[in-house]
Amino acid sequence: MTPLLELDDLRASFPGPDGPVEVLRGVTMSVAAGEKVALVGESGSGKSVTARAVLRLDRDASLSGRVLLDGKDVLGLSERAMRDVRGARIGLVFQDPLASLNPVMTIGWQIMQPLLIRGVKKKEARRRGVELLGRLGVRDADRRFDDYPHQFSGGMRQRVVIAIAVIAEPALLIADEPTTALDVRVQAQVLTLLRELAAERSMSVLLITHDLGIVAGFADRVVVMRHGAPVEQGVVDDIYARPQHPYTRGLLASVPRIDDDPSRRLSTVDEAALEGEVR
Amino acid sequence: MARFLLRRLVTSVVVLFGLGVVTFLMSQVLPGDPARAAAGRNATAEQVAAVSARLGLDKPVWEQFPAYLGNLLHGDLGTSVFTQRPVLSDIGDALPSSLELVLAAMLINVAIAVPLGVYAAYRRGRAADVAARLIVLFGAGVPVFWLGLMLQLVFADRLGALPLTGQLGFGREVPSITGMTSVDALLSGDPAAFSDAVSHLVLPAVTLAAAFVAVVARTVRSSMISVLDSDYITLARATGASEWRVVIRHGLRNALVPVSTILGMQLGWMLGSTVLVESVFGRRGIGAYAVNAVLQNDLYAVIGTVLVIGVVFVLANIVVDVVQLWLNPRLRQPGGSRASAAPAAEPVEPGVVEGAAT
Repeated sequence: MTPLLELDDLRASFPGPDGPVEVLRGVTMSVAAGEKVALVGESGSGKSVTARAVLRLDRDASLSGRVLLDGKDVLGLSERAMRDVRGARIGLVFQDPLASLNPVMTIGWQIMQPLLIRGVKKKEARRRGVELLGRLGVRDADRRFDDYPHQFSGGMRQRVVIAIAVIAEPALLIADEPTTALDVRVQAQVLTLLRELAAERSMSVLLITHDLGIVAGFADRVVVMRHGAPVEQGVVDDIYARPQHPYTRGLLASVPRIDDDPSRRLSTVDEAALEGEVR
Repeated sequence: MARFLLRRLVTSVVVLFGLGVVTFLMSQVLPGDPARAAAGRNATAEQVAAVSARLGLDKPVWEQFPAYLGNLLHGDLGTSVFTQRPVLSDIGDALPSSLELVLAAMLINVAIAVPLGVYAAYRRGRAADVAARLIVLFGAGVPVFWLGLMLQLVFADRLGALPLTGQLGFGREVPSITGMTSVDALLSGDPAAFSDAVSHLVLPAVTLAAAFVAVVARTVRSSMISVLDSDYITLARATGASEWRVVIRHGLRNALVPVSTILGMQLGWMLGSTVLVESVFGRRGIGAYAVNAVLQNDLYAVIGTVLVIGVVFVLANIVVDVVQLWLNPRLRQPGGSRASAAPAAEPVEPGVVEGAAT
């Protein structure tokens, strides 16, 4: 069976002052249809660049390798064909719901965009938008449809962002740290919502996060990234029970636990020791 | 929203009063004797004294000013000692022509600067960006009178495409309705006169606009760059929208919020700087009237001109406020302070509804 999304030696570099800087150094991973995969790693490990590279959103990035969607390489697509992938095949959610919404447009306008640009009639788009917003837990969705982003709280805004991402019914949702900017209670709500949505629509989810705490309850598989390349991937339980790579071990050990002795220093990934072990 | 406008109107009145005080005091300390100017070059001392008494100029300053203010409230800007007509009707003759020029220049300004700024932002750092910057800097760098003369030389003299000076061709007349030749031609249903008036308007308007395009284009460029870098633009792109749609429909409105403020200020500055353009192109206008008034030591005409330009300035800024209300929904929120309503700022959230989720 071909996986829905398959990254094969994906490399990305950006122009820097001293020539191109390679940010992704050969990412190889896959997401099967209906599967929920978590991409974890510390800040700067290349998680977000991977997400953006799949949709080719960084205009100054030069990409190589292959990004296969249903077996077709999207890196070779024309800009026009790429637009049919964005939104309709793959939806995207960002970390900060404050910055993710256009402040001068109504949330309804923004939710309807993915449909309107694909020729859906306005009335129909509105009906589906209101329905989806209600499904995502926004009360009075019909009335609030014409409100502006500043009239919504952070958690509600993230639901609007999710609505924009999934209204055109993509097969894959890429959620780039969707809960980082939210408080813990709302985090749990949003994750539950994503899980339910994925189940209802048999939609795959690529969850990008640095929070190992939320991965276990959400994802089927985990890909651990470091310095622009995956160091370990596998089924969630295996990774948590028997981490193979020293970096994964360090990452897991550095998650504070509720039953830790509070007098103990928090553990960090020992970079120096790691370098010796990896190289 | 009505309260917002009312508050702006009250502030405007205060601003105008302050303007009146300052200009009146300035005129008092300026050298020259308006009574002598009014009485004429060869007047005797007695005649000057008589004129001075008639105009109230022999009274002390603190008596002249309240009298002047009282007249202002009745719409009486005083009498020009030079034309012997009420200043208000002098200005009424001169202002529409200048307003026509300024509005046309503003139209050209926006029509050139906004697309240029947006394009430069979109292609930032590329050749097109640099080229746009050079063109714009050239427009801002050349002196107005020189640019006016060059445009006359090329378009009127060499190419013969546009008229050299004036406001209407020989033998053509339009009824005076608003005082703006092109608008009057349109209102009186005379398309030939309208196109004639517009052709007379093009070169002076371009000349006047040239110096202002640079600032607007740079403002549009920088605000557009920060908009294009924002998450919501990336997400708009991620919906599959075309680049045009992303930049224009999703982005432009955000970028225009700071630009509208600049445009409002520029309208006032433009009106204050029409004089060179009007003299190069032989147009009636408030600029020429003001310069004459200053040279003639025509106290009330000077103050009147400054006040009227001030009124236009204030009105333009009220228009800008209304435009911003339309552009930026956060301003429409009752109780939302202007400080918290900057497009990039974190909004205050009074009426936030947190829905129960699962």
